[in-house]
Amino acid sequence: MKKVWLFVVFGPLAANIALADNGNSQEGFALLQKMANASRHLNYSGTFVYQHTNRSETSRIVHYVNSAGGEFEKLEVLDGPAREVIRSNDQLTCYLPKSKTVIIEQRNARQLPVLLPERMTGILENYTVRKMETDRVADYDCHVIMLEPKDNMRYGRSFCTEISSGLPLRSRTISEKGEVLESFAFTQLAIGGAFNRDKVKSKYAAKSRGWHVDRSALNVSEKVTDTGWIFKSQPPGFKKLTEIKRSIAGRAGVVSHIVFSDGLAAVSIFVEPMPKERPAQTLSRQGAVNIYTRPYADQMVTVLGEAPAATIMQFANSLEQRANAAK
Amino acid sequence: MDKISALIDGELDEGEVGRQFSRIKQDKELRERWDMFHLIGDTLRNDYGPAPHFDRRITERLALEPTVLAPQRSTARRATAYALSAVASLSAVALVAWVAFSANPLNTPPQEIAQAPIPAAPATAPVTAVASVPSQGTMNEYLLAHQGFSPSTAIQGVLPYIRTVSDSRAPQNR
Repeated sequence: MKKVWLFVVFGPLAANIALADNGNSQEGFALLQKMANASRHLNYSGTFVYQHTNRSETSRIVHYVNSAGGEFEKLEVLDGPAREVIRSNDQLTCYLPKSKTVIIEQRNARQLPVLLPERMTGILENYTVRKMETDRVADYDCHVIMLEPKDNMRYGRSFCTEISSGLPLRSRTISEKGEVLESFAFTQLAIGGAFNRDKVKSKYAAKSRGWHVDRSALNVSEKVTDTGWIFKSQPPGFKKLTEIKRSIAGRAGVVSHIVFSDGLAAVSIFVEPMPKERPAQTLSRQGAVNIYTRPYADQMVTVLGEAPAATIMQFANSLEQRANAAK
Repeated sequence: MDKISALIDGELDEGEVGRQFSRIKQDKELRERWDMFHLIGDTLRNDYGPAPHFDRRITERLALEPTVLAPQRSTARRATAYALSAVASLSAVALVAWVAFSANPLNTPPQEIAQAPIPAAPATAPVTAVASVPSQGTMNEYLLAHQGFSPSTAIQGVLPYIRTVSDSRAPQNR
């Protein structure tokens, strides 16, 4: 099975790689693929800092793959209110000690097929991938890979991947002005180590027996469907990934959710019935994510994604309801 | 039969893991099941399929964290109220930002306005009209619903949850 996948994945890419302008670019692209695999298949534990908009937050992460290929992860946020996320394969359990709540979720979208050919070619169409000089992060030497956008509809990215394993040690999102909008970087890291179930157990496992357990999100319905919305001039390089109807916490009614991606960045468009308090047009941001809300007739449109404000707004402003579509 | 699922989920002790592996090696039917489990896992992982409610639920809870003084009320309604009031307080500033921005020629084909945006040359970078306001966490439900679909969060492995559980209610620019 694995071999078939490798062929399917790498076959179509070979053509694109051949078109790449130089060796650095080919190498950069290969490193990117290695990185995408490494973070899933390696054992590691460490501390990393997430920075955005003049804020930073430190977290501890432990990631293990057992001998049977099961994946386990524990993430603890070390600053602010305590929060802990435990993952066992596709099941996520989040412990929120402050409100004595445990939230249990099934999630299969977490690991996206970044290696699917259409996605990776999207990266090559929209970004120039370059391998830069090596750097050092958390005491590990790492390759710097730059993804420079080919137009101003998307942000640049840089990754630093550990030289032997390919594990991403640092990731930065860079604006058109060259500012770092958001970054993740390990400050301490150990790669390898044997699987140990105890290391991926919550410290609240026993304490949380009497806590409120919320499984309600397991029952929320979502279905892939034609939402009846179209875009008359969507930003170039973005392709539709999916289109679903879903519910969103605290929102009345069903929300249409359409996702576009250029291979690296994604933009989500949410359309829903206008809330009682009609919102003004607003543009806001969180880290590398821009968020734009506008009314459209009796609907409210919210567009967001890790892309420049102009891109986000172009999606919102080119939205139209197909003539024969039911709401 | 269930042992295979337990094996993959890491619920067996070391001795039992060894026994199961030997059984799988010897038994063709078990091997097929084993392959099937992995195939299902691979398929799931390669599926864009919707499901990331997780983020939303956490956000909802996080939104409630500061108001835990009066516990166990209707959580959904309070989350909404919180969101709406914050939107109201945000909108005046944001509208200014939007008006400033909307002067930009959004529909200009990007080829015409494209220029190499990076690498960094911050000192000489032209100032654009974009002046959006920091999000105050009111859009978190959407942000989190979005995140599960983003290749750039997935590609980094470590990071998919961190925006999810990031304490986005905290005051900005502190």
